[in-house]
This record gives sequence, structure tokens and C-alpha cells, in this order.
Amino acid sequence: MRVMVLVAICAVCLSFVTLAKAGEPRIISADGSITETVYALGAQDRLVGVDTTSNYPEAVNSLPKVGYLRALPFEGVLALKPDVLLTTDEAEPARTLERLEQAGVAVVQLPLARSPADTMARIREVGRIVGKEARADAMAAEMQKRIADIGIAEDPPPAGSASARVLFLMAAGDHGVMMAGRNTAGQALLQAVGARNAIPDVRGYKPASREALLASHPDAIVVAESRPGQFRIDQWPQLAALDAWKQGRYYVGDSMLLLGFGPRLPKAMKEVASLLKEAEQVASNGH
Amino acid sequence: MVTDASGRLARGPALILMLTAALAVSVVSVTNGAYPLSAGDILGVLVGDLEDEVARMVFVDVRLPRLVLGFLVGAVLAVSGALLQGLFRNPLADPGLIGVSAGASLAAIAVIVLGGTWLGGWVDLAGNWALPIAAFAGGSGTVFLAWRIARRAGETSVATLLLAGIAINAIAGAGTGLLTFYSSDEELRSLTFWTMGSLGHAAWDDVAMAAPWLVVSLCAAPFLARPLDAFLLGEQVVGHLGYNTDWTKRITILIAGLGVGAAVAVSGLIGFVGLVVPHLVRHSLGAGHRIVIPASALAGGTLLVGADCLARVVVAPAELPIGLMMALIGGPFFLLLLLRTRVT
Amino acid sequence: MLLRVDNASVRLGGRQIVDRLDFQLDAGELLVVLGPNGAGKSTLLKALAGEYKIHAGSVALAGKALKDWTGKCLARQRAVMPQRVEVNFPLTVEEIVRLGRPPEPLSKSQPILEELMALLDITHLQSRLAPGLSGGEQQRVQLARVLAQVWDTRKPVLLLLDECTSALDPAHQQQVFSLLRKLAWQRGFAVLAVAHDLNLAARFADRLLLLHEGQCHSSGEPLDVLTESALAEVYGLSARILNLEEGYPLVVPRDGRCAKDYDTLSWPGLAPQNSSCRQAS
Repeated sequence: MRVMVLVAICAVCLSFVTLAKAGEPRIISADGSITETVYALGAQDRLVGVDTTSNYPEAVNSLPKVGYLRALPFEGVLALKPDVLLTTDEAEPARTLERLEQAGVAVVQLPLARSPADTMARIREVGRIVGKEARADAMAAEMQKRIADIGIAEDPPPAGSASARVLFLMAAGDHGVMMAGRNTAGQALLQAVGARNAIPDVRGYKPASREALLASHPDAIVVAESRPGQFRIDQWPQLAALDAWKQGRYYVGDSMLLLGFGPRLPKAMKEVASLLKEAEQVASNGH
Repeated sequence: MVTDASGRLARGPALILMLTAALAVSVVSVTNGAYPLSAGDILGVLVGDLEDEVARMVFVDVRLPRLVLGFLVGAVLAVSGALLQGLFRNPLADPGLIGVSAGASLAAIAVIVLGGTWLGGWVDLAGNWALPIAAFAGGSGTVFLAWRIARRAGETSVATLLLAGIAINAIAGAGTGLLTFYSSDEELRSLTFWTMGSLGHAAWDDVAMAAPWLVVSLCAAPFLARPLDAFLLGEQVVGHLGYNTDWTKRITILIAGLGVGAAVAVSGLIGFVGLVVPHLVRHSLGAGHRIVIPASALAGGTLLVGADCLARVVVAPAELPIGLMMALIGGPFFLLLLLRTRVT
Repeated sequence: MLLRVDNASVRLGGRQIVDRLDFQLDAGELLVVLGPNGAGKSTLLKALAGEYKIHAGSVALAGKALKDWTGKCLARQRAVMPQRVEVNFPLTVEEIVRLGRPPEPLSKSQPILEELMALLDITHLQSRLAPGLSGGEQQRVQLARVLAQVWDTRKPVLLLLDECTSALDPAHQQQVFSLLRKLAWQRGFAVLAVAHDLNLAARFADRLLLLHEGQCHSSGEPLDVLTESALAEVYGLSARILNLEEGYPLVVPRDGRCAKDYDTLSWPGLAPQNSSCRQAS
């Protein structure tokens, strides 16, 4: 996979020599947070298509959608006559990607970003590909500064100390709620702000049982929803009964913002970090 | 349309109509898609002097294998449905009934979910073929298992086969559920797409891999027509008429299992073809298998190619999963048919 | 001797259903097997049809043990009509009858089908779908299909028929049995028919075989087999036997003198209240 990425990047660089003459490259972005980055870099006029995970900003909805990034259609991608398919390691099927390369599309698969450092690296990478290096560097630096301003302890708190435990939920459908366990973007966000996951024993996203929610005793709650208003607290009395909820230490936000690890990462981190500050105050008052 | 005294279509005109439809749908299918190909491009490809390499690739390496594979898969699913309905003497039987789909799904999800861990060696070894080969093995393996369970004292009990199929379906379903539970969000999405079926990544090497099984089962099926006709009157009648009952059962299960296993391996789960097509054919042309088998093959292939064409055109440049498309077309159509026959 | 059954036993689920049975059937003979429910009639017929294994003893057809016959050869000389055949698929009457025929050109099978459909009075049904037919019509269709299988066989033919007239009206019952007798007498078919109707059997059979608990109670000409004592022993039925001048016996069950006396029971709920049926008196 690594080799493929390298080859792909080389291919892009090579193609740029010719593309520079022919005009700006036509890009398809098949990843929500990459799309967001392209917009943030002001390179959206190069986008000719996106995948179904790309929903932000609003303007993206006017672009043709080529389907889901794990089931990319060969002909559909090719129909938009792209020079570059910009996506992540998650893109599938592998054979479609291979054939797209054969058809002359430079396929660039960026690694997943699961930390502020990854995110900044990815922004720079995207900047290079869309030809906005300077702006990407500036954006990364700005991001670094904003994250530093949040004031997160550099070293993770020692084990056993009273660092805040956060329950991360993902609203799925109208009635289901999934808990984010290990190996999730949700956990990665908590880690980035120095919080602990209140459900550490689960791997991936698992359906939330009402009992487990009660038993988790979180200091704060974060809920990611894929469309505004999707999560309705009145359907989850157990959640409403938790101290963290009653005392207002919760944040309900867009899943792309919270889980995307894109340009809005500092905002996401700030929102979660402010919950933690409240939680610490409560904890210190209690002592 | 000409019908005879039993309300059926006359066979000659019906055959001509079906061949025409198959040809028309095939032509529409290869000329339509997300990538714009002009008539000139296609002509150029056919004559062999097209400059545009990408257009040539779209036509020759994408649409043509897709057409061939779509037709074969549709034909095999429909014919297997017809064979098993005859064997079980139940017009509602479906290749899923003897565990093909469940077994193939279990194997496929195992590759998707455990590909990075327990099955890593297999995935490294088989590469892109890891999933289709596993699905094929899972599908035909479960059929074989069901058949072994149903076989006692040298005879295959159709009733036990059905029950074994149900039990195996349940067990494989539980295994699939368990793997789903342990899968990550991303793996789950992959699996969901697999279960909705797709011909989207069909290439000539897929055709090369699946075609032998598909073609063999299509070619062997007509030889079962007479004993399966006898099956319609009851299992004992098959023997009375001088056919080898057990041999018929074995070959039928073998053909259906291998054929559907290969189909599922390259296209994922595609429902409805095996149920709707033979049903339609029986009601318009009669229930004799000498008609039902070839007509189902033709109609099943045409239907799937047509559905695939729609699937890649309606939401272009994206594609709908073909299994979904089939259910979208097949479901309401089948209901309409039921309501109409209820009235008359 | 076309069919020879020597000391044959059939076991099902550990129980001896047919117990050391001996009999023979000649070409040109119509044999009716009688016996109460559970006497082993159908089991015997299925064993002869090859559906059940003969546990002990032997069965030979045309001098060759049944198990040595190949399916194809056997199908040309022996046809079987099961007690019930259910057709759930939209096959027409003509298609079902044609199923009896081996692969052959239409010009060869068509005259045979037409003759048989006429003989069994189903020509008018030929393009009807089988699932929509009445029970009696279905039975005639199946019989036509069975006969089609051996209609042009030159060697001696064995027909095994399990209650082939059970759903027919009296006129068709007579018609079918006289057809069977004609086939036996004129074309040399050996017919083994399982039946329940004693009078039908008495009128048409050359010989009767009365089964009782898997064994042969008596066999021979109707007048010798259908005796008051035999009926009482085998069926527990009390009946008068009238020897008709036509040369066969008539069984008339006695009124209210069944072995189990139902008169002692009373069914208050079953008394007719508002019968609109015309009483034939």
C-alpha cells in the first residue's frame, strides 16, 4: 500500500509537469475531510466530483457525486474525466483504483488522520497536490497556534489520575446510538484533548445499551450526529439522568466536525476541551 | 400477443421476442453508462481504429466484461432457481434455501473482517481473489454440507435437505452476525455493499474465473429437464418413469451450488432473479423444464443486464448496487403479478 | 409368469408391514389386492414399484429379479400409479400425460396421447392446467400418464395401481375398471390394483388377494375370497354375500351390525334442524 501511495504521488508530480501547461488539474475528492480541506484551501474550482461522504461545506452538494468511497465505480469516476483521484487508504475496490491508474487517472491515497499532527501533515499534502502549498502551510501553522491556545497539557495525565472520562456517542438513524470504543476517530479526538474514553473496553462503534450508558458515569458527553437534530435526548432518558448531562457538560455536534480530522479540528478540540474544563472545576469543587 | 387455450404465449413468437429483448438490452447496456461514448467511438472500437485509449478501455475492458458477466450471472441465478424449485416441488424455492448465499456471505465477511488478522495469510496469498474464492468455497461448501446431512442410507431426502438448509442458513447467519458485531465501522460498510451485489468491478479476468463454472452449469441444466419434469409429479414418480432419482438430486444440487457459488463470488448477493424469472416463465410459457430452463436463462440474463444498465445510469456518475436495483424492480413487479393473478 | 413374489417381507421402521407374502401374477390377468387400512396393501405395491426394499424373500419380473432391472428397461415394462399425485405447477393435462412418454418425436407421441385422453374421457381438459382440476379428473389424468408409459410396449406389461379410482364417480369407476380388464384380456397386461371397493373388485377382478396384517388371508376368484367369514375376520365387517347371476358376488353390509356398535353413541348436536336437502325416499 505504501509503495502504491509513493508511486501514485510520483505519478501526480509527473503529471503536474504536463498539467501545468494544460491548465489546472481536474480533481475528484473521495473523502469528506479531504474535500473540506480542498475548500478551505480555496481550490474548490479544481474539484469536478466528490464522494457521498463529502457534505461540508454546503456548496459541495452542487458537485456530481461518484458514490461511496468504499465502492467507487470505475466508469462513474472516469466519466468526470479527472486527472487526479484524491482519496484515503479506505478507498475501495482496489481493482477499480488499479484500473483507473491504467486509464491515466493519478490515484492518490492519503493515510487516515487520527491526530492533530496527522491532520496538519495531510493539509500540507493536499495543498501540494492542488497547488496551494503556501496557503496550506499557513493554514497548518494557524491550526497549530489555535490548538496550542486551547491549552491542553502536553503530557497525557498519569494513569490512575483523575483525568476526565468522556462518553463519545454517535447517533445512528433515529433510534440507535453507537458508543465509540477503541480504534475509532471518536477515541482519537478524546486522546487529542487529553481525555479518557468512558467506554475503554469496546473496540469500534458498538450499539449502546441503556445500562452501559448508566454504568459509564462519564464526566462529559459528546454526541456526533450526521445531520442536525438527529439525536433526540428525549428518547434517551438514561442519558439525561447522568450527572454530566444534567449539569450541562455535553456537546452535540456534526459528525464531520468531530470525526473528520480536517480543517475544523481546532474547533472540535476546543468544544470538547471546554467540557473538560467544566468537569475539572466540578471535580476540584467537590474535593 | 398470441395465447393458446391454457392462457400461455405461443412459444415461437415468445422466443423471438425474448431474443430480440436480450439483444436490445445488451446493445443499450454497452452503449450507455456514466462515461460518454459516442456512436462514432463505439464504431471505432469495433473497427479497431479508435485513437482515444480511455474510450477503448471503457468499452472493451469495462462494459463488455460487465455485459458478459451480467448475462451469465443472471442466467445462472434464474436457471438455478428453476432447478431448485423443480427439485423441491415448490415455486417459492430459491438458491438461498440450500445455504448458498448464507455460506458465501459468511466466507466473504470473514475475509473482509478477519482479512487483517486471522485470515491475513490467505489474503496475502490470494490477493484480489481472496474474497471471490472464499465466497465460492463458502457457497458451494455449505451446499455440499446440506447435501451430506440430507443423505442417509444412500438416498437424499429432499425434506431433510430443506431443513438442513434452513439450519445452515441460521448458523451461517449467526456467524455473519457475530463477525458483523466484531467488525469495524469501515468493514461493516464494505460488507453491506457486498451483500447488495455489484457487477461494477467486473473485468475480463473475473469473467475468465467465473465463466467456466457458470457456463458448465448452464450447459448441464437442460439435461435435467426430463427428470425434473417428473419431479413435479412427486419424487416417487421419477423412479417409476425410469429416471435415477438420487442421481437427479445430486446433479441438480451440484449444478445449482457451483453455479450460484460462482455467481455470488463475482457479483455479491443478488436476489429475486432466481425467484421471479422462473415464475414468470412458467406462467407465460408453461412449467415443462425443457422450456423453463432455456427461457429462464435468456430472461434472467436479459433482466440482470437491464437492471445493471439502469443501476449505473440512474444516479450517474455514482452507481446503485445491483441487488438493490433488482429488489427495486423485482419486488413491485412481483407484487403486481400476484395481485393480477388473484383477480383473474 | 410375469410377476412372481416369493416369501417377500417388507419392514418399515422396524415393523414388519408385509410378512412372508407369496403370490404370482400372469400376463392377461387383473388382480385386485384388498384389505383393511394398514393391512400392507400400499406397502406391497411400493415395494413392487421399487420404492421400498424387499427385506427378505424375492420378487421377480419376467423371470428376472426386480433389483437386476435397469430403470429404463423397467419403465418400459412396468408402470406405477401412486395413491396420490399432487401437482403444484402450472402443467397442462396434455403435458402431464406426455411425461409418461420417453423422448420421441411429437408425431409418435401425439396419436398415443390422443387415444389415451379419449379412453379416459379427458380430451376436453387437455389444455387445462392440472392444479385447477377436480380430484377425479386429476386421477384420470394420472392414469392416462401411467398408461402412456407402456402403451406401445411389445413385451408383457405390468401395471401397479394404488387406489386408482378412489376419487372417481361411479360411472367413471366402472369405465376405468372395464378399461383395465380389457387391457388385461385383449392386450395381455398384467394388472395389480389396490382397491377398497369390494363390489368393484368383485365385478372386474380375475383374482382377489385379501391381505390381513401383512399376510395373505386368502386369494382366488371373487366368489371364493369374499365370504362372510373372511369379511368378518379381516375387516370386522358384517355383511351378506349375494351370488349374482352375472357370476360375481355382491357384498351388502348388514344394517347396524358392525363390529363396533355406533348406536350406543348419541350425537345431539348433529340432528338436522333445517334441512333444505330433498330426501330421496
